[in-house]
Amino acid sequence: MTKFKGHLPVILAGLVVGIASVVLVALGNPVNMGFCIACFLRDIAGGVGMHRAAIVQYIRPEIIGLVLGAMIMALAGKEFKVRGGSSPMTRFVLGFCVMVGALMFLGCPLRMVIRLGGGDGNAILGLVGFIIGIFVGTLFLKAGFSLKKSQPQPKIEGLLMPAVNVGLLILVIAAPAFIFFSVEGPGSMRAPIAAALIAGLVVGAIAQRSRLCMAGGIRDAMMLKDFHLLMGFVAIFVAVLVGNLIVGGMGLKGGFNPGFAGQAVAHTDGLWNLLGMVLVGLGSVLLGGCPLRQLILSGSGNSDSSVAVLGMVVGAAFCHNFGLASSTDGPSFAGKVAVIIGLVLVCAIGAGNTKKA
Amino acid sequence: MRSPSPNEAYIATFHTHFGALTFHKKLKGLGDNAVMMPVPRKLSASCGTCVQFSLPFDPAWADEDLEAVYLHADGNYRLLFENEES
Repeated sequence: MTKFKGHLPVILAGLVVGIASVVLVALGNPVNMGFCIACFLRDIAGGVGMHRAAIVQYIRPEIIGLVLGAMIMALAGKEFKVRGGSSPMTRFVLGFCVMVGALMFLGCPLRMVIRLGGGDGNAILGLVGFIIGIFVGTLFLKAGFSLKKSQPQPKIEGLLMPAVNVGLLILVIAAPAFIFFSVEGPGSMRAPIAAALIAGLVVGAIAQRSRLCMAGGIRDAMMLKDFHLLMGFVAIFVAVLVGNLIVGGMGLKGGFNPGFAGQAVAHTDGLWNLLGMVLVGLGSVLLGGCPLRQLILSGSGNSDSSVAVLGMVVGAAFCHNFGLASSTDGPSFAGKVAVIIGLVLVCAIGAGNTKKA
Repeated sequence: MRSPSPNEAYIATFHTHFGALTFHKKLKGLGDNAVMMPVPRKLSASCGTCVQFSLPFDPAWADEDLEAVYLHADGNYRLLFENEES
């Protein structure tokens, strides 16, 4: 019983994330995309004009809420520790590569679970790839991979990422002419700003408190035979599945639609769904956490994670400016080349930062 | 530093996974039944790795990757050693 009590926070966190994602879809977000860190960072990149893919441009309040919610919880728990300087350029490149993989699959690990809970069979291939990527990542960890320790930094360094997000919030509310808002496609599908922001704040706060991490759950299960974080992962799936069955029954947007073809914002190329998520899993293990975790840490004073998030944002812009991102028609040739280069690059980073323990 | 009683254990936390791996290997080499595990939430918000061990802690073992050492007893953690940072 005591042991179960110890797992309760991460299980509750997973349930809340799952419920929030179903509710956000019902309120307007794209189907099976109540929350997606990769998609939403990509939308933000488009919203501020870093890329010109007209269907994915919107400053997502969910991301802003995640960062600010994590910051508020970290400050309240006296856990706002400003640290950084651990191989920043490497982290930027890893973040970039993680985004290349995510935009091949069309989703981060969190969306992968949400897609599974919506019945999207393509996400099964993504999950297999994610597990393979994490397994390869744990081989690097066991071999002595390290990006070296971070150092304490001035408080301002940790406050800048939350400040940037406050700036983004002002922009999305004020909606000046130079900000881009999609009028069609996934970027045009959005929950009301207040609902999205509140959902982000709640999820950010509980993810900081519970340490919820998609990659960490599978990594700990593989390396340490510890299933604590994995329970959060499973809880998200259960909440999304049950939630989708309920909203589907009520005739609301969303629902459980099992199958491979015709899934929302997804393609059916199994090999590249798998390889994209291999890159995401491997890159996430080397970074020390999945895109959600990087975002939460960036709000908790960790400037190394902020650099990784910036790598993801630039990666997203690059993917859409140069045709690397997949569409519902499938992956592009350039995207396939980019994923292969990404895998080689991330393995080279892994090997180049490994020393004997 | 004394040996912990049977219902106690030392917990060492680290700045990097590599630090935990190195420390774990060192303790194993000294004959300790050290175990690597996720850092208890009470000790850190990070999702890093710690090492639980029972040999009396020797500060000479501390390298730059070691963060702190705690005594874990009855669900409570008492800070025994905190590594200085430059």
